[in-house]
Amino acid sequence: MTTFIPKLVCFSCKFGWGYLNTNGYREQLKNLIPVTCSGKVDTTHIMDAFRKGADGVIILGCPEKECHFQTGNYQARKRILLLRKILKEFGVEPERLKVELNLDPEGTRIPIVIGEMRKEIEKLGPLSPSV
Amino acid sequence: MADKPKVAIYWLASCAGCDEAIVDLNEAILMVADAVDIVLWPVALDFKYESIRKMEKGEITLAIIHGAVRNSEQEEMAKLLREKSQLVLAFGACACFGGTAGLANFRSKEDIFNWVYQDAPTVVNPNMNRPQTETSVNGNTLTLPEFFERVHPLNDIISVDYYLPGCPPPPDLIANAVFAVLEDKLPPRGTTLAPSKPLCDACPRNRSKPLRLEISEFKRIHEVEANEDQCFLAQGILCIGPAIRSGCGETCIRTNTPCRGCFGPVDGVDDAGAKFISSLASLISADNEEESQKTIDGIADLAGYCYRFSLPSASLKHKNKE
Ligand code: SF4
Ligand code: SF4
Repeated sequence: MTTFIPKLVCFSCKFGWGYLNTNGYREQLKNLIPVTCSGKVDTTHIMDAFRKGADGVIILGCPEKECHFQTGNYQARKRILLLRKILKEFGVEPERLKVELNLDPEGTRIPIVIGEMRKEIEKLGPLSPSV
Repeated sequence: MADKPKVAIYWLASCAGCDEAIVDLNEAILMVADAVDIVLWPVALDFKYESIRKMEKGEITLAIIHGAVRNSEQEEMAKLLREKSQLVLAFGACACFGGTAGLANFRSKEDIFNWVYQDAPTVVNPNMNRPQTETSVNGNTLTLPEFFERVHPLNDIISVDYYLPGCPPPPDLIANAVFAVLEDKLPPRGTTLAPSKPLCDACPRNRSKPLRLEISEFKRIHEVEANEDQCFLAQGILCIGPAIRSGCGETCIRTNTPCRGCFGPVDGVDDAGAKFISSLASLISADNEEESQKTIDGIADLAGYCYRFSLPSASLKHKNKE
């Protein structure tokens, strides 16, 4: 049996989460996409990530009331909640899509958050190739 | 007679409403019938497939194909018409995006067969018979087309030159499309022959949309008496207009029904359902997770609404389908 290494895509807000690779985490995370605000991540980007083979998608945004653009983080969260409802109908476990609103300017927590998600996705197995 | 351009009109997995729309061209259809030689139109005239098979490649100027592709016979006919035609027009929501019949893609073929041939309360089938592609009866072999695992839009099966969406397409756009072919005034291949702006831009209710919408509860259209002038979203009723191409004549809106999306996505977007989610999210009030979740839990059949006409062309395919 080949071991399953989940392919994760992480959209990460540059204001709240580190992105300068100060502690070398970028090497471990192939698909880390720094964005100017978690609210910039469109639902079509997320669906596209799944279509192109992602087993899970995580969005890192600023804590409640601390969005640099006022409500971007709330918008991101509502999008995720809506999309999770849609994913279920597509037979895709909603756990494959997550949002975390928190603060981590050094990026020290990013590998931890990703690691936790990776473990969960390992349990779910690969998202069967859909295209 | 021999010089007239040849036109084929064909149905795949279709309800024939698209044929009806062509007939509804009224007087214009007479002009079309004068200008072209219709070589195939099963709903209206009697032709043999054999005569199409005998044609040269490209002998047909325009094939107007409506309906999605669900079985091998439809696939075969789509490929035959592609081979014989210079231009293929995907006509109507089913050919363009899969259409309402495409909602079947939320279920597997196995689920569908179990229901239709076994579990539906009106079915009596003690021998558990299922359709077979080949059955031998008294030494003869009977054949049936193969029912595919999924519903496909036309461009999953053959290359398509132009798209004309709608359920069905409206007469003005049909006439424009046909005359553009006849007068050789077609835009670049791959174009959708309808305006590129979203429906909201053409909607008579757009001005009643408040600058900031904050929906905390969604209602379905049959549960309320909808105001006839106010934007549906402002009334907390789902309307997919923000993500849908205009050009339909706002037929639904004018009959006090929210848009369900038969015109598909605007230019540059593949997945209108996913796009709509982004705009919908921004309209939901509730700044804490629990409240947002409660509002969202209250939306009935969100996926069905977002993909009512376009599930087969959604960016995601159902996971249990492969
Ligand atoms: S959301 Fe619907 S009702 Fe409101 S302006 Fe757009 S199309 Fe019209
Ligand atoms: S309002 Fe929407 S569903 Fe109705 S005809 Fe227009 S595009 Fe189709």
